[in-house]
Amino acid sequence: MRLEKLPAAQAERYASLDCPDFATTPWVKGPPLAERRVAIVSSAGLVVRGERPFRGREADYRVIPGATRPDQLLCSHISINFDRTGFQEDWNVVFPLDRLNELAAEGMIGSVAATHYSFMGATDPREMEGAARDVAARLKQDRVDAVLLSPV
Amino acid sequence: MSALGHYIEEEGIATVAIALVRPQAERTRPPRALWVPFELGRPFGPPSDPAFQKGVILAALRLLEAEAGPVLLADFPEDDPRETPDPRWHPPIERPHPNPPPQAGEGMGGGFLADALIAEIAALAAPYERSCRERGRTTVGLSGLSPAAAAEYVAAWLRGIPPASPVPDMSPVLSLRFAVDDLKAYALEAAIAGGARRSSRQLGDWLWNETATGAAIRELRRLLVDSADDRAKLIVTMFLVPALRAMPGG
Repeated sequence: MRLEKLPAAQAERYASLDCPDFATTPWVKGPPLAERRVAIVSSAGLVVRGERPFRGREADYRVIPGATRPDQLLCSHISINFDRTGFQEDWNVVFPLDRLNELAAEGMIGSVAATHYSFMGATDPREMEGAARDVAARLKQDRVDAVLLSPV
Repeated sequence: MSALGHYIEEEGIATVAIALVRPQAERTRPPRALWVPFELGRPFGPPSDPAFQKGVILAALRLLEAEAGPVLLADFPEDDPRETPDPRWHPPIERPHPNPPPQAGEGMGGGFLADALIAEIAALAAPYERSCRERGRTTVGLSGLSPAAAAEYVAAWLRGIPPASPVPDMSPVLSLRFAVDDLKAYALEAAIAGGARRSSRQLGDWLWNETATGAAIRELRRLLVDSADDRAKLIVTMFLVPALRAMPGG
């Protein structure tokens, strides 16, 4: 997002949002992209239709199976200050599962994870640490070695 | 997202984050991030443009192969080509409501807008159904109500008769929020039928400035913003009308 396109007060609010302060930065190496198994972890508050939508700043996550169809995915993020018409027209704007499947078919990536995950991005990320580590354990069980983190 | 990158990578899995707000990524310092210049809500760029979206994804994933790190923050060079309004786009219904209140919120009362909302949701059914057929999907569904039932539920609030929640484990005001979310999605999905490459601003201007649905949601906010119930006050203040649209002239 180009902050300079927003009204000054709003740009300042986004630029100065509270962020966690990390003393160290992990760095994991891996095989070439063409051998990687890729998962999407979104913070768009995505839920599979029929599951409990996010209702507020919750710190848990939702599971999105790789077989989920576009008509099954809803966005329950509590913020109303972002565009939803892109997602309404094409879910790949927020959850690019079709694109990942195409990249795997083209041999650009190794494979696509069996399961993807979604958090509620309005939650303080420090409160999501436990859930994020739980998701990491599940990703490892799925042999995922590349995570595409997507905000909204 | 950048913080999640820290936690997941600490557990041994390489991550790359899409960053929409660059200063946040600069402060959180995830292992790898790709800043994109697109508006909030479009982390992978324009809809219905697979080649562009794939370019964004590959630019991000290729950071996984970079040796220089930790902390790699790259910039995606292209803007969203769908930011420009498309003059070919037309509203899904003409003359959306019969007597548009020039200043909703200045004593129009909820009754008029309640009736106008119900009528407009009915009038939008045909373009909405067409749009669903074109896309093979809908994003309406958070409230568990049909669009007509969601309109009736919101209308009851507008008439000053807050109804019981139609969903057993949701409070009435939470059901109101989800019903409003669904009505916005329904109207906007009706507006994206057809092949025009409309911008989000174009669609938002229509919803908030030209429709009974937008006027009704604004009126709902005005009616409930001084509620004695703190939770209701929070929800109607923060989660009905976007901040930019709640400003004068928005």
